[in-house]
Parts: sequence; C-alpha cells; structure tokens
Amino acid sequence: MNTNKVAKEIFLDAGIYSGEAVKLAAFVFSDRADIRIAPGKGVFTVSVSAEDAEHTVGEFLNEVLNQQCRIDLAKKNSKIAGIIVTKALLSAAGEK
Amino acid sequence: MRRIKERNLKKQGNRTIGIKVSLKDRSLDVVRYAAYAVSDAAYVFIKPAGKSAVALEFAPKNSAAAKNLPRRFKEELNDEQKRAAIFDSNRDLREFMILKALAYEEIPPAGQQEDSGLTPEQERELDALIAQVESEIKKESSGNKVKDPLGITRTWEEKYGAKTGHKKK
Amino acid sequence: MAQKQATKKNKKSQSLLPQALWQKIGANYLLTNDSGHYAWLKEKDFALVTAGKMAEKDPLFAELAAKGFIRNRLDFNDLAAKWKKKNAYLYYGPGLHILVMTLRCGNKCLYCQSAAAGLGAKHTDMPLAVARKSVDLAFNSPNPGITIEFQGGEPLLNWEVLKSTVVYARKKARISGKDLKLALVSNFSLMTAEKAEFLLKHEVSLCTSLDGPKALHDENRVSSAGSSYEDTVKWIKFFQARHDTQVPEYRVFKPSALLTVSRYSLSSHKEIIDEYVGMGLEDIFIRPLAPIGYARRLWGKIGYDAKDFSIFYLKSLDYILKLNQRGVVIREKMASMMLDKIVNFRDPGYLDARCPCGAAIGQLAYNYNGDIYTCDEGRMVGWEGNDLFRIGNVFTDSYKKVITSATTKVCVVSSNLEAQPVCARCAYKPYCGVCPVYNYETQGTLWGNMPANDRCGLFKGIFKALFTLLKNPEKAAILKKWVAK
Repeated sequence: MNTNKVAKEIFLDAGIYSGEAVKLAAFVFSDRADIRIAPGKGVFTVSVSAEDAEHTVGEFLNEVLNQQCRIDLAKKNSKIAGIIVTKALLSAAGEK
Repeated sequence: MRRIKERNLKKQGNRTIGIKVSLKDRSLDVVRYAAYAVSDAAYVFIKPAGKSAVALEFAPKNSAAAKNLPRRFKEELNDEQKRAAIFDSNRDLREFMILKALAYEEIPPAGQQEDSGLTPEQERELDALIAQVESEIKKESSGNKVKDPLGITRTWEEKYGAKTGHKKK
Repeated sequence: MAQKQATKKNKKSQSLLPQALWQKIGANYLLTNDSGHYAWLKEKDFALVTAGKMAEKDPLFAELAAKGFIRNRLDFNDLAAKWKKKNAYLYYGPGLHILVMTLRCGNKCLYCQSAAAGLGAKHTDMPLAVARKSVDLAFNSPNPGITIEFQGGEPLLNWEVLKSTVVYARKKARISGKDLKLALVSNFSLMTAEKAEFLLKHEVSLCTSLDGPKALHDENRVSSAGSSYEDTVKWIKFFQARHDTQVPEYRVFKPSALLTVSRYSLSSHKEIIDEYVGMGLEDIFIRPLAPIGYARRLWGKIGYDAKDFSIFYLKSLDYILKLNQRGVVIREKMASMMLDKIVNFRDPGYLDARCPCGAAIGQLAYNYNGDIYTCDEGRMVGWEGNDLFRIGNVFTDSYKKVITSATTKVCVVSSNLEAQPVCARCAYKPYCGVCPVYNYETQGTLWGNMPANDRCGLFKGIFKALFTLLKNPEKAAILKKWVAK
C-alpha cells in the first residue's frame, strides 16, 4: 500500500466546467491519481490523491480545460469534422 | 476592445497570477480557450467572479513562463474573440466549400478536347505529323533494315520500361 | 442551390473575412486558409482585412482576392480544386503496407524503436504463410497504388521468405493491375552481391540508416560486428553506382538514407550533413526521435526536448540552404514534404502530417505473427505490451473488418484537426497533422493536449521557419526548386 499519497480537494464550478469534461479528465488521470468526483449544487467537489498532489492537481485542471475546449469546439465544428472523418473512413473501406 | 482589469493582477515571482475577465462582451468559450492556449506555461483554474465575470488563476510552471503570461493571455483573448466572430459568420459557407471540395471534379475548359488539351486545329496538325513520321518509319523498316547501334530510334519505354512516379514516405 | 445560398450570405456579411487562420510572427501576420493559400500581412493590413475594410484599390486587394481572403471575391472552383489536391489521400485507402519480416537484428541501436530481438529469436521471423496473407490483405486496399515496405529488425535475416514475398507480390500486382512499389529498409550488414542482384532485378528500392560520420553513426548504431558504418557506406555506394548505370531490363532506384537524431547528434549538424553530401545523397530526412515503445524507456539517456531538436533542425536547414547557394544539391526531406503542400497544394504522401493521420487509413503494419497494427509506431507500443493499436490478424480478420475496427475509427477521429481545439485555430492546420500514438505515449490519451505537446511545438517551429524563409526571395527560390516537378 502506498502511504505517500496526499489528497487535495478542488471545487469546480459547474457553469464553467461541464460534468462531461470533469469525468473525461478523471478517466485520463485514472492511472496517475485517485480521483473522486462528488457532484453538488452547481459545483463538482473533486478529490485528487497522488504522491505529488500539488503538481497533479495542476495537471488535472489543465486536462479538464483541455476536455472542455474539445467539447466547446465540437458544438461548433462537429458537422465539418464529421464530413472529413466520414469521407476518410468510407474511402478506406472502398465505398464512395 | 475590453481591456483586462489590471488592478486584479497579482504577480509574485512565479506564484499565482490572478486575472478577472468580464463576460459582458465575451463568451465563456472565448475565455476558456484563451486560458487553454497558455496552459503550456501555467496551471489554470477558472471560477465565477460575480454574475458576469470570471476569475482566472494562473500558477506558472516556472519563472520564465510567468514573465509573459498576462500579455500572452490578453493576446489570445483578443485573437479568440476575433476568431469566434469570423468562425460564426462563416460556418455555413465553410461547410458548403468543404462539401464542394470533396465533390470537386476537374472539368476541361470549353472549346478544347477532353484528353489532349489542344485545340482542334492543333490536334489535326499533330495527327498529320504523326502520320508522316509513321510512314517514314515504315519505309525505313520494310526492306533495308536501318542500323541503329546507339538505339536512337528506341523510345524510353522500349529501353527502360514504363515509368511510374516513385515517392517514399 | 448551395452556391446561391452562399452568394446571398456573401452579400449580407461580405464585410468580414472568410474563414481564415492566422499567426503573428514577429511584427507581421501569416494568414492561411483551408485550401492552403497563404499571405503575409503587416499589422495595419491585417487589421483592415480581418475587419473587411480593405479597399479594392489597395495594392494587396487583388492578391488577397485571388487567394480566397476576400469574402465577396471567392473563386469556389479554385479553392475547391486546391483543397482536393492537397487532401487527395482522403479518396484512397492505405497505400503503405509495412511487413515486419523479423524482430531479429545484429545491431543494438541505442534508440531502436522497433525493439529488435537477438539473433537467436527465430520465432520472430515472419513465416511465408503470414507474409502471403499480409500481401493478400494489402491488395484488398482500394488504393490503386500499393507500396510494400520490408522492415524489421533486420529483414535480410529472413531472406528466403522475403525473396518469395517479393515474387508473390509482383504476381499479385500483375493480376490486380495495381501499381506496386517495393521497398526494403535494411542496415545492409547482411547484404551480398547475390541478394543485391535479386532486389535490383525485382525493382525493390533500398533505404538504410545513416546517422552521420563513422564515429557518430557507430555510437548510435552499435553493431555486434564492430562497425555498422562500413557496411552501410559500402552498399550505398554500390547501389548508387548501379543506379548510374541503368540497364534496360529493370529500373534501379537511387538508394536513400534516413537520419535518426539522438542526443549525440545534436552538436554535429554540419558533420552529419557533410557526410550525406560526401556520400552523394541528395536528400536528408532529419527525423526526431520519438519517445515511443522501447525508446521511451531510454528517453532519459538518449532523448531531448522539442526545443533542442528545433535548434538542431533550424541550424541544419540553414546550413543546407548555404550549401545550396554554393551549388551543392542537398534537400531536407521533411521541409520538402511540407513545402509541397505550401507551394504546390499537393499531397506529398507524408502520413505523419495529414488530417486525419495515416493510422490504418493510410498505412498498415503487419507484425511477424500476422497481427495488424494501425502503423509501425502502434506496433512498437504493442511490443511493449499494450495492444491498443492492434486492429486485427491476417488469418482471422478481413480487410473490411480491420479498416472499420473501433481502433481505426478512434485514431481517425482523434487525429482530425477540425476537432482539436488548438489545431482547428492554427495557421499551420492546412499543412499539419497529429499522431495519436505519440499523444498516447507522451500524454496519456489519443487526443493529447496540444499546448503542452512537444511534437506540436516542434512542427510549429518548422513551419514558422519555412514560412519565414519563403519571404526571402533567394531562399524561396531554392526551396521551391526542391519541390518543382
């Protein structure tokens, strides 16, 4: 059992960070830290347990922002993104 | 163009830098992206600051990163604001253009034959020239064989086989 | 109908710039668009253009209109044609098929990303049945041009199977009517005159690694035989001589060499380039080492960060241009491929820099045991124990199943620049690409996180350098000559 882990708690406003972004980031970090998300009223209470908790929390916050910006972009760009992916996959599969 | 409220800026070496941004004429998307764009240099945390503003906390990853951070963030904010407006006004046009590009077929210009790229008169001249050369070759090759030790009359394809493009990764 | 709607919209909001991307470089702005056109603007002109306030009589107006930067002057046909040409790969399936003939190798190169096994590991030789099934699957690709590249370990260690596969593939090509290119990537340590004749007769192009002068090359590419440099150089010269004396029966291609930049290379850019020039090689591909697979384990010893590589690359490019100015023929391959897009709006076939990337849909890697991977990098990750990028096996899966696998789809989706927050806004987007394998190995996800992504930083540095060089007429002339066809 690793006894060197430190837990830090952060509060993410649900109006700024979507639940989807927080969960995706937690999944990305699942091999580096113990992350627990407790949704509350307009806020996510996130507990991050890791050896270098300070650094890991910073990286985690950036990852949440990364996921959030992807979600934001998808809302605007999903049609064009989908057109390109569809064309690429259809062509590779030998369909027109 | 709204300026970032500099009185909210706290800078202590490479410790946290706080910046407040109004959402009155900027969307949250724009602020989020601008913050994300500088996240190579700092850890970023965003929280609400009243009804129509957000407070950003940047924890620079090192002291060199801290120096330019507020200026970089401001530039990204302005750029993203401009980009968002251009993007929104062009969304449909861009979708149309990409679909058009995907379906694009090269059409030969009117008045020219599809395959040759020559005018009809040029085509006729070329046909006549080819016929003349073919007739001369026929005369030479029937009866007395003409010696061609240097292979001058052999085509590239006869000498080396059909040429195809060769690209490597 | 769509065109009329676009025209109506043009009239309504013609004051704004059409979709464009930009990057401030120094005091100026580089403007680009989806079709790949670019323009340099001073700050005041940039402000005018982005506000839609550039007057028709402005000297820049005609140029910008011709390039698709003035909304009510868009030439849809030109823009569509250029976009399609630059993205031609979207219409084809995988063209490059890498057959890993064996994992055995007599070298122990410091950075070996292919994770070579020792000479005794014969169980890692690809059996003939696997090789044939791999070729069969490759020919199921809808791409009219197929390139089969024999790699390893050292593929010559599995010579008999390699020979049979060459013959088999040529036969398949004749029957199918596809244009087949064969290539061998070898360290040449086991090359013989007999093998060389066979390869030349069957028009197999040859590629090897050359990391610089003898001391540096041997330091990177440790050989059990003492020096790996001697064999490399001997056979490069042999194949060059054969290229220079073509025979009518078959074509002999110029041999090529790849450079892998390790930490030991970083202080020797001139020596490395001089070595290539001295060998008569006209192309040098300055490739960064990637922390993928086995190399990731050794990164602390042999690796470097993007900044160090960028400095090395830019110094190398500068030196190469100086040599060109003196009349020496030497081109940098990565720059050439990027320039082909920038200058000619052409797809150079560079699978690492396209959208979506070439994983599965542009190339397939067939391991010695018949397992199929999205790419060679994906295979290296597999060798380290993670089969995320494995998409099938030649014995159990059809081409269709492989190409429609979940992993294929997720690689395509995650490398789509339109869905990447930074890339979608980047001025270099029309010419760039991301690597899901690199992202996964270095940042933990296929999507990655571009602001902190070293590969992104590296590519941005190269693009910035190229666009800046293109502003200089003398240097632009040299660079454009590299890609003139």
